[in-house]
Amino acid sequence: MRRAVITGAGAVSAFGVGLAALFDGLAEGRAAVGPIRSFDASTFPVRVAGEVPIAGIEAQWLARELNGISKGAEIAHAAAADGALRDRKVAFALLAAAEAWRDAGTPPGLDARLSFAAGLEQAFLEDLAPLWTGHSVDWSKDAKAPLPPTRYRSTVDLGPRLVAKLLSLRAPFFIHASACAGGGLAVAHAATLIERGEAEMVLCGGTDSMVNPLGIGGLSRIGAPSPRNEPDACRPFDRRRDGLAVGEGAAAFIVEEESLARSRGARIRARILGWGSTQDGYRATAPLPDGSAARRAMELALRRHGVAANRVGYVNAHGTGTPLNDPAESLAINGALKGATVPVSSIKGAVGHLMSASGAIELAACLLTFERGILPGTAHHRELDPDCPIDVIGETPRRAQVEVVLSNSFGFGGQNVTIALGHPEAAA
Amino acid sequence: MSRAARLSAIAMREALSSANFSERRAEIGAWMGVGASGIAMEDVPAIVSASIEEGAFSVQRLGDKGLLACNPLFTFQTLNNFSLCHGAILEGLQGPNGAFFSRGSGTALALAEAVHALQSGECDRAIAGGADTALHPLTWAELQRDGFAAQGLVPGEGAAVLALSRAASPAIGLLESCVATDTKHLEALPSDADLAVLAPWGAPARAFLQDLARSRYALAPVVDVSLALGDSLAAAPALAWLVALDLLQPGQRTVVLTAGIDGDLTCAAFSKERQ
Repeated sequence: MRRAVITGAGAVSAFGVGLAALFDGLAEGRAAVGPIRSFDASTFPVRVAGEVPIAGIEAQWLARELNGISKGAEIAHAAAADGALRDRKVAFALLAAAEAWRDAGTPPGLDARLSFAAGLEQAFLEDLAPLWTGHSVDWSKDAKAPLPPTRYRSTVDLGPRLVAKLLSLRAPFFIHASACAGGGLAVAHAATLIERGEAEMVLCGGTDSMVNPLGIGGLSRIGAPSPRNEPDACRPFDRRRDGLAVGEGAAAFIVEEESLARSRGARIRARILGWGSTQDGYRATAPLPDGSAARRAMELALRRHGVAANRVGYVNAHGTGTPLNDPAESLAINGALKGATVPVSSIKGAVGHLMSASGAIELAACLLTFERGILPGTAHHRELDPDCPIDVIGETPRRAQVEVVLSNSFGFGGQNVTIALGHPEAAA
Repeated sequence: MSRAARLSAIAMREALSSANFSERRAEIGAWMGVGASGIAMEDVPAIVSASIEEGAFSVQRLGDKGLLACNPLFTFQTLNNFSLCHGAILEGLQGPNGAFFSRGSGTALALAEAVHALQSGECDRAIAGGADTALHPLTWAELQRDGFAAQGLVPGEGAAVLALSRAASPAIGLLESCVATDTKHLEALPSDADLAVLAPWGAPARAFLQDLARSRYALAPVVDVSLALGDSLAAAPALAWLVALDLLQPGQRTVVLTAGIDGDLTCAAFSKERQ
C-alpha cells in the first residue's frame, strides 16, 4: 500500500521566517500577537494581529531569502515588478515553499505536483481612487491609471502559481478555496494524490494574510476578532475568551510516497496516517453547536487507516478563542476520543488565526511534538471554561513523547478537516 | 450571499431534487469549482466614497468611516468557498467536500475528486459542479488587464451541478472519465466520441479545442457552449457537462473539452446505455 510521509517543511509566522523560528517560539511558550505595523490601523476597530515581522517586502530581500533555488531571484524581481508583492501572502508562500523544498533535499528534476490553499484576493482600494468620479468607479479610466499589472486586487492563485513556477511543479494545480480549512484540506489532498498513485511528490500547504486594511476591517465588522486590542486578544478555551486574533503567514510541506522517500534517504518528519473532511451544513456565521460534524471529521481521520483512538497523544485544536468555536470543538474532541484525557492546545493565541494557512501552520506546529518531544502550549489560556471540559495545555508547553497527533481545522462556511499525523517510526 | 454562491445554491437544489437525493442528506459529498471573491459591487463605491479624503484614498478614513458604510457581513460575500457552503447549508449536506479555485481545470478537478470519493466508498452519493461570474466588475477588469477580453473572451456567468451516484437507475448518463491535463499531453483523452462539446475561454482556446475536436473526433459534431452562454469561468465546464448530458443519445459517447486561461485542458466523457 502506498503511504504518504512528510519529508520537508517550511513556515512563515509571527515568530519570523523559518520553521525554526516557529518551533523556538512555541517551545519557549512565547506569544507574538501585537500592534499592527504593516499599515496604519490606528482608526480601525482591531489594531493587533499576529503579524509576520517584516515591514515591507522588497525584491532584493526576497531574492536573498530564496537562495538555493535557481529561479529565486528571477521570480522575486518579476513579482515585485508586477506588483504581486503588494499582497504579503505571495511572498509568504514563496518563502515557505522554498524552505520546504530545501528541507526535503528535493532531487533536481523530480516530478512534483502542487496542492495549496491560497486565501482570498487582497483588495487594493487605493487603486480605485484614480478611477473615482465622486459617486462611482469609472472603469474606462483603467487603461490610463498609473498602476502596476497587479491592481485593484490580487488573484486567488497568484502565490501558488509563483510557487509552481519557482519550483517547476507539474500542472494542473490544486488551489484549495476552503477558507480556514483550506491548508488542512490541501495537505490531506496531497496525501490522497500520493496514495492513489497520481503523484510521487506534492508541494502542499497554505498561505494567507488578512492583515491589510480591508481584511482586518472586514473581519472586525463581523465581530470575529477580540475587541480588546491587547496582545492576549486570543485566549482559546479560556472562560474570558472574546474572539480571535488575526494572523498571517504560510506553511508548506513536501509530501511524498514513503518507500521512495526512504529509498532516497530522505529524512521523514512525520507519517500522514489519515484525514477526514465533513461539512457542518449549519450556518454561515456559526459552527454546529454540538460539534457532531467536526467530531465525524476526527473519527474519519482515525478510521481511514484504522488508527485506534487510544493511540492519540495530542490534539492540536482549531481553538479560535471565539465564544462559539471552543465549546463545540471540545464536544467534538471528547466524542471522537471517547472521553479519554488527551492533551489539547491551540497555537492561535501565540501566532493568531492564519485563516487559509491556519491548518498548515498548525500542522507544522505538530511536527514539534515528534522532533523535540514538546507539546505546544495555549498562549493566554489561564482559566478553563467549564463548557470546554478537555485537558487544555496552558501557557507552558508540556514535555511528552507521543505517537499520534490530530490537527483540526474548521472553516467559515462550515468545512471541517482533521489530519492524523504519526511519529516517523509510528506503525501504520 | 455573493452572486456566485446564490447561483450555486439554486443549481445544487435542482440537482439534488432531480436526482431524488432526499434521504440521508448528511452523507452526501460535495465538490465545487469556484471563482474569485464576490464582494457586492454596491459596497465598493460606498467604502471608497467614505474613504476618500482630498481626492486620495485614506486608510485612516477607511478605518474610521469606510467600514461603517458597507454591509457588515461583506467579508462573508468575499469568501469564495461559500459557492460550496451556502448550498450545503441550505440543503443539509455534511459529507466529504472540497472547493477548488478554477480558471480552467479546478472545476474538472472537483468532479474528478467526487468520482474518486464514490469509487473509494468515502460516500455513495455526491454532487460536483462549478459556479462563477465573469460579470463582476473587478473580475472583468482583471480579465481585461490580462488581455483575455482582447482575445475574445465574452463574459458570462452561471452555475451547474451534477448529482452523482455509484448505482443510479435510471441515470441521465454514465461518467466514464474526467481528466485534467495540459495541451501537450493528450494521451489520457478518449480516442473516440460521437459528439464533442466545447467550453473554451476566449478565441485562442476556442481555436485549439476546435482543432483538437476535428483531429481527434473527426466524425463527431461539435457544439461550442461558450458561444451560446459566454465564458462563465469556473462554471463553464459544469454548464458544458449539462449540455452534453442533454444531447447524449443511448449507445453514444460525448466528450466535453474545456480550456481555461490557466493553460489546462480538461475532458469529461459521458455515455449512455442502449435502451
